[in-house]
Amino acid sequence: HGNLRGGRWELVVPRPPLAAMFADGTAPGADVESVWRSARSARCEAKSCQTGKISTAETAVQSHTSRDASVQTDQSKAAVQDFQQEVQVDYTSLLSFLQRVEDAVIKELNRNWKSRAFDGFEVNWTDQNETVLCLHTLSYPEAQDQNLQVTGVSWNATGSVVACSYGRLDGGDWSTEKSYVCTWNLDRRGLNPERPDLVVDVPSSVMCLAFHPSQPSVIAGGLFSGELVVWDTSRTEDSVIWRTGMTDDTHTDPVYQVHWLPDAKHRNHFRLLSVSTDGKILVWREERDGRLVLAEGFAMVAQQVPRSMHLKKFACGEAAIGVTSLSFSHFDPRVFIVGVEGGYSLKCSTAAEMPALHWTGSSVPLRAPAELAFSPHSGLVYSVSCSPFHRNLFLTCGTDGQVHLHSMLQTQPLISLQLSKKYLFCVRWSPVRPLVFAAASGEGNCNKCFCLGDVHLFDFEKSSQKPALSIKQAAAERPVYCLEFNIKQTQLLAAGDAAGTVKVWQLSSDFTEQGPREMNHLEQLASETMD
Amino acid sequence: GIPIRTNLDNSTTVQYAGLLHQLTMKARSTVRDIDPQNDLTFLRIRSKKHEIMVAPDKEYLLIVIQNPCE
Repeated sequence: HGNLRGGRWELVVPRPPLAAMFADGTAPGADVESVWRSARSARCEAKSCQTGKISTAETAVQSHTSRDASVQTDQSKAAVQDFQQEVQVDYTSLLSFLQRVEDAVIKELNRNWKSRAFDGFEVNWTDQNETVLCLHTLSYPEAQDQNLQVTGVSWNATGSVVACSYGRLDGGDWSTEKSYVCTWNLDRRGLNPERPDLVVDVPSSVMCLAFHPSQPSVIAGGLFSGELVVWDTSRTEDSVIWRTGMTDDTHTDPVYQVHWLPDAKHRNHFRLLSVSTDGKILVWREERDGRLVLAEGFAMVAQQVPRSMHLKKFACGEAAIGVTSLSFSHFDPRVFIVGVEGGYSLKCSTAAEMPALHWTGSSVPLRAPAELAFSPHSGLVYSVSCSPFHRNLFLTCGTDGQVHLHSMLQTQPLISLQLSKKYLFCVRWSPVRPLVFAAASGEGNCNKCFCLGDVHLFDFEKSSQKPALSIKQAAAERPVYCLEFNIKQTQLLAAGDAAGTVKVWQLSSDFTEQGPREMNHLEQLASETMD
Repeated sequence: GIPIRTNLDNSTTVQYAGLLHQLTMKARSTVRDIDPQNDLTFLRIRSKKHEIMVAPDKEYLLIVIQNPCE
């Protein structure tokens, strides 16, 4: 504040005390500003650089069509050229060569006719296996619990997978039971005989089974309802690839046998043939939507069966003849033998032209194929089998327990064997030994005859009266319904029985190795005629 | 070897010709290895089902298959 004194302003400052002359004080420091930055920046210049703009463009690429293509080697056609046209031959030198060697060769040929040097001389190249043993006992417990029986067995094209069909053979006229088709791969490690590799549920009873001859995963089965179904076991979801469905063309009775028929035009293509007790033999063609459509067919009508003097009984007039089994000749692909319910077997041909009488209602005209009727069994014929080694021989077996060896050239059988007192369900020729066949019989306990087992192996070389070997299949005396030889592994035989098990038997080497003179013996058998 | 004349079917003939030619060459070299002055004159192979006879020559080969009757 200021004191006002006489018109002059005086600043009044409190006078410091005398001691304040030595007070603390700080003196501000002296600052020298740094000039290097500015000095430097006076000499520097600011520059900048930048990469030029990268040009980019957006485009998209996509393949918009795709195609599935698969590659498979085809069976090679025999690529043998006709060599006789290509070779330039110097005939004079050929002639002199032939004249030089002629004597030596003829001398050797003559010597061979008379030689006894090799009589009884046989070489063992492989270890002889003396016994027959049961390699596997395969079963499906669920099917066994339902008391289903094995109705068909089949080996696949490679010989490593066996499939069996479960069903009932004594189901009577009406059966709506579910059934199964089971496959086991015998070459797998960890094969569990109680657990099949694949089980297919089928709504109706499967009566017969056949693997495709060249595709190892395709199986065809004939059902009790008369339908045919083809499964592909390599598919995981739905294995059904073809089916006939229930149309006017399907069989009205159970299908007892299916067979893959080689197509006449395309050697690798096969068509399906089915045989049923309604008298029809039908050949099916595959259509694109998974259906099997009738391609051609045959019908057996009693009137059109050629009658010979030896037959005294035939079905009356227009009745259809129920066909129970069929076998194609290995030598002539058009000739086949059928076995019928009446007990006789017929020789038929696919080239038959005559239309079947009294058969209407089918989309494809049915023909009558029968050419020759053979002497009958006393009961129905369950199985026929044509010999793979001789063009005229075939076997038939039936409910009278007999096996007849027939030649296609005559109506009477060449040999009649009473194998058992019970029914014989299946007979098959061996694929390696011309004189051996196997037969599957019903309950094996017959009172007085020599055969005790259920699978009989017969060897004409050893004995023409009794089986060389009888194998007991099931302990509980259940009949054996079906058996099949394995074509690739010839020592294996699969047999399926009514207890629901499939047994794979390994045969001893005398059933698998062909002897030196078997074909001659077979020819001899075939040319015997009965007086 | 290329077949010139045959009374069997084509595929069997070609098979026999090829296989037996190789075997004859091998047999001949075996004989000559043992004794260089020696040479193969005739080859006979006896099997379970038949006997195969081969008459060799510089340019040609004659193959005969016989079913010995015993």
